[in-house]
Amino acid sequence: MENIMSNKSMTGALNKTEGLGGLMKNLAQGRINTEYTIKDIDTNDEELKNFLFTLGCYEGELITVISVLAENFVINVKDARYSIDKDLAKAIII
Amino acid sequence: MNMEGKMRVALTGNPNSGKTTLFNAITGRIEHVGNWAGVTVEKKEGDIKKNLNKTNVEITAVDLPGAYSMSPFTSEESITSGFVKNENPDVIINIVDATNLSRSLFFTTQLLELDIPVVVALNKSDLTKKKKTAIDVSKLSKSLGCPVVETVSTKGNNNGLEKLISKVVEVKDKAQTAPFDSKGVNMSDKNSVEAYDKKRYDFVKGIVSKVEAREVSSNTQTKQDAADRVLAHKWLGIPIFAVIMWAVFSISQTHLGPLLADTLVGWIDLFYGWVEGLLGEGTSPVLSSILLDGIIGGVGAVVGFLPLIMVLFFLLALLEDCGYMARVAVVMDRFFKRVGLSGKSIIPMVIGTGCAIPGVMATRTIKNERQRRTTAMLTPFMPCGAKLPVIALFAGAFFNDSAWVGTTMYFVGIAIIILGALVVVRITGEKHARSFFIMELPEYKFPSVKRATISMFSRAKAFIIKAGTIILLCNAAVQIMQTFNWQFQVVAEGAENTSILASIASPFAVLLIPLGFGVWQLAAAAITGFIAKENVVGTLAVVYGITNFIDTEELALVSDGANVASIMGLTSVAALAYLMFNLFTPPCFAAIGAMNSEMEDKKWLWGGIAFQFGMGYAVAFITYQVGTLLTTGAFGAGFLPGLIVVAAMIAYVVYLIKKGNEKAERKLALSV
Repeated sequence: MENIMSNKSMTGALNKTEGLGGLMKNLAQGRINTEYTIKDIDTNDEELKNFLFTLGCYEGELITVISVLAENFVINVKDARYSIDKDLAKAIII
Repeated sequence: MNMEGKMRVALTGNPNSGKTTLFNAITGRIEHVGNWAGVTVEKKEGDIKKNLNKTNVEITAVDLPGAYSMSPFTSEESITSGFVKNENPDVIINIVDATNLSRSLFFTTQLLELDIPVVVALNKSDLTKKKKTAIDVSKLSKSLGCPVVETVSTKGNNNGLEKLISKVVEVKDKAQTAPFDSKGVNMSDKNSVEAYDKKRYDFVKGIVSKVEAREVSSNTQTKQDAADRVLAHKWLGIPIFAVIMWAVFSISQTHLGPLLADTLVGWIDLFYGWVEGLLGEGTSPVLSSILLDGIIGGVGAVVGFLPLIMVLFFLLALLEDCGYMARVAVVMDRFFKRVGLSGKSIIPMVIGTGCAIPGVMATRTIKNERQRRTTAMLTPFMPCGAKLPVIALFAGAFFNDSAWVGTTMYFVGIAIIILGALVVVRITGEKHARSFFIMELPEYKFPSVKRATISMFSRAKAFIIKAGTIILLCNAAVQIMQTFNWQFQVVAEGAENTSILASIASPFAVLLIPLGFGVWQLAAAAITGFIAKENVVGTLAVVYGITNFIDTEELALVSDGANVASIMGLTSVAALAYLMFNLFTPPCFAAIGAMNSEMEDKKWLWGGIAFQFGMGYAVAFITYQVGTLLTTGAFGAGFLPGLIVVAAMIAYVVYLIKKGNEKAERKLALSV
């Protein structure tokens, strides 16, 4: 589901991941067909976070990128396929 | 609880778990279903069929919109829990997608806490075998503490539904113990709820590991994923979508549709002759003209297009059923984002090519408010099924049945939508706003021909009812209003301008002079078009006394096109402008009603209607004036006043955009 985020939180999210210098990466940097464990959902948007939680997409859960289609990532979480955009993939820290 | 002798059952479950398909199967109803998440947006009720319900108790089933959970901190979920609690059902049927236990059972465990008996329908259980997954149903039932029945609601028989209903009757008023309950958890504290819900997921994981054996892990690549990579491909996605939509329209509008329409019109013709013979010479000419030209001629002109619309709905239903729509949303997201919409906006627009009302209602799956409202406002610009007769009439009468007319109308519709979206995102000052896109990708499946047939006939029924009521009344009214003057005398030949209809429509006609069609007949047809767009054709048939647009001899939708064109007295350019005016001004009142309920805001509604009016007027003005300049070397009538009106409208929109931009800059400044 879509939710508006202000620009500030987006740039904030990006700086944080970059600042840790490769120790942490987000799903957009992940490889296809590799199972990752979600470390964090990095967003200020509570509703988005809650929604992802109800899909079973939260820290500690496993996530796999099935394909990358243009700017969309097809992911597998809890036996279901979703298509998410790059901004959202960047918010999923693995 | 409810009165004795009656039972209420609520159908709940995750989106796209097949609730409505199951609802239709147990009640015999024909509610709209589609293979993506979030098709059902309102609750639906129906009585369970007698052959499934072996008791004397009448059971009413309530189909609810899908939800992933009932946790208190998400908006959609609170609606669901409100629904379930307000409906006060005797039993809950929880439809669980058998291919996806680990997510679905989260919601199940929450439902089990409501102190209402639950029966789990393990739906799509035919797919588990395909996926080489085995589920131990009795163990699952024991772990959850409620009956579990395997169902395949898409199958006609041997689908587990009879057993499901008998279980429902069995558990009524029986106590069930929730296997996992949240008593003692502080529901108003976010952190404790979250921690608790994580434990709930762990509990579900425990159950799944006991009852489910997967030979193939769900994250391995499948043929479906390979199909996604083609259908939602960066470059191939759009051409594939274009070809599919082109096929839908060309089959329904130039091949199969008109072929069937010819047969139907032959029957209408026979009927006209039969009634004419029946009336004989003795009937008053006024009465026979109202009956023949007003009712049979006008309604017949519209009903003749029924086959086109039926074929269109059949094909759209196949498209909705196969799982492709979710992929189109993925393909389009990239582009729609640039104009401030969501990829999901494409689904209402595709549905809107059939009818704008379900199209506008489908916007409810779009969570972002501005995107949802913008989509609801722009969806009616897609030419809908009711506008097909109008397009076909003008293509036939003025453009020699050229296919480019219809195709161009769709492209103009798309162009207006893009322009409209760009304008709205700027006016609202959310140019810099970002949004997330997430869409569940349902399994592809072979579309059900049966379902498409049902959808087609239910549409045909609605269309015939509309033709027999609203359109018939409108045509009769138009016929009466043009037959009489205000003194209720029959208007004399040559004095048609004194009729009631002419005097009402004439003031509007003045406004239309800059658009090239400032005559009262055309103004009257455009006005009746707001009641139902088919009325444009019906009214034109009545006011110009053309009884039959569709030719039965040749394979052409409009017979004697040159004749029709000369009766209307329009140049081709003015005819094109008139066609566009009818297509791109606000939709019919019913669609405006749907816009109202989805926008939930009067300012948006009136803004949307004003935008639609302005757009229709401007498009028609530009088409007529530029077209006339190109064809005759001079501007058409009323160029200057029209230019002033259009320029004023554009200036106002520019002013609103400027204001919106300032708002956006302020927001940006605050957030940096």
